[in-house]
Amino acid sequence: MAQANDPTRGRWTSRSIGSRFQHQIFYWLIRWGGRQAAYLLLFPVVGWYVLFRRDVRARSYPYLRRRFPELKGWRLGWGAFKLSLALGKSLVDRAVVGILGPDAMKPKVVGREALLALAEENKGLILMVAHVGCWQGAMSALGFLKRPVSMLMQREAGDVDRHYFEHAGVECPYKIIDPRGFLGGTIEMLDVLKRGEILSVMGDRLLGEDKNGSDVQFLGGSVRMPFSAYKLAATTGAPIAVLLSYKTGPASYSLELFETIRVPRKRGKTDFASDVQQFANALERFCQQHPWQFFNFYDMWAPISEAPVDDNKE
Amino acid sequence: MDTKTKLKTILVEELNLEDVSPEEIADDEILFGEGLELDSLDAVELVVLVQKHFGVEIKDMEEGRPALQTITTLADFIDNKGAA
Repeated sequence: MAQANDPTRGRWTSRSIGSRFQHQIFYWLIRWGGRQAAYLLLFPVVGWYVLFRRDVRARSYPYLRRRFPELKGWRLGWGAFKLSLALGKSLVDRAVVGILGPDAMKPKVVGREALLALAEENKGLILMVAHVGCWQGAMSALGFLKRPVSMLMQREAGDVDRHYFEHAGVECPYKIIDPRGFLGGTIEMLDVLKRGEILSVMGDRLLGEDKNGSDVQFLGGSVRMPFSAYKLAATTGAPIAVLLSYKTGPASYSLELFETIRVPRKRGKTDFASDVQQFANALERFCQQHPWQFFNFYDMWAPISEAPVDDNKE
Repeated sequence: MDTKTKLKTILVEELNLEDVSPEEIADDEILFGEGLELDSLDAVELVVLVQKHFGVEIKDMEEGRPALQTITTLADFIDNKGAA
């Protein structure tokens, strides 16, 4: 499970809670007994963390309190278990795709024709994804677009979580752009779009030293979401496809085009709040439809000047 | 107008730099982080402006990193590309 602190102060991390050895046990179980065997171990592992690690449990609360304000006491704790278990299953599924092959998971693309049409505009295409469903595994379903995909992705040195292609021992099918690189990777991202290729970015968290965030309304409160991708869209004319994944069965996922955002040409440091709000609205719709598949385990709503990480009140 | 002067004018006018005139910008002024304090989004705009005004494309990081340091490095890049 990935730890996450408040990104507005650059303190969240993709580093895992479990050790490399613990992850290896899950990978071994997948090889030996398939997905179900790994799921089975998830129950006691997640249960232990949620019962005995107050800090882990508390990371679910900011979202749960917004999405399910009626949850109090043990029901809130149960919600933390349910949400953490869903994340665990998502990580197992990602490993399953890599270890057992892409056929082990059946991703269905909802809005396939619309996505193809966007890609064929040849202005580049920005896929705006979020920490929901099985975003890593579901990305393996995008081969039909027949265009190179670059992903903006930040990985920590101590991150032992493997991406699905790392399990398979194959070369990464995507070009990774590090947001901590020169000028936040923006020149590389611009280049991807100018070539008419696909750029995948996370729309719900500020990465690296990115301070380009807009305050928007999400689940009844104000959160800060990044707007660099909207600037790229405005500059290149590339459409933004909000693409969110959700688990639909033990071995199936849907990857759905929730929204298409067209950002008009803007110059200078024009505020992109209305465009970011469009994304936030789509993400809120997702949370209403798939409430247990939203995986931001930190207080997105905390004021920037406060430290919200250990809000342990139940 | 030489490339450096034209660049400075574009920076001030099109990136809406406040409290600075083209004449006040030194040739060795650092563009990003310090100096002119441009940020990554300004870089996106600058790359587009360079293409629009000079017809020169900054294609990738290999080209972009050394070029996007100072007014001088960017002007040299534009001149070299333009001459090529």
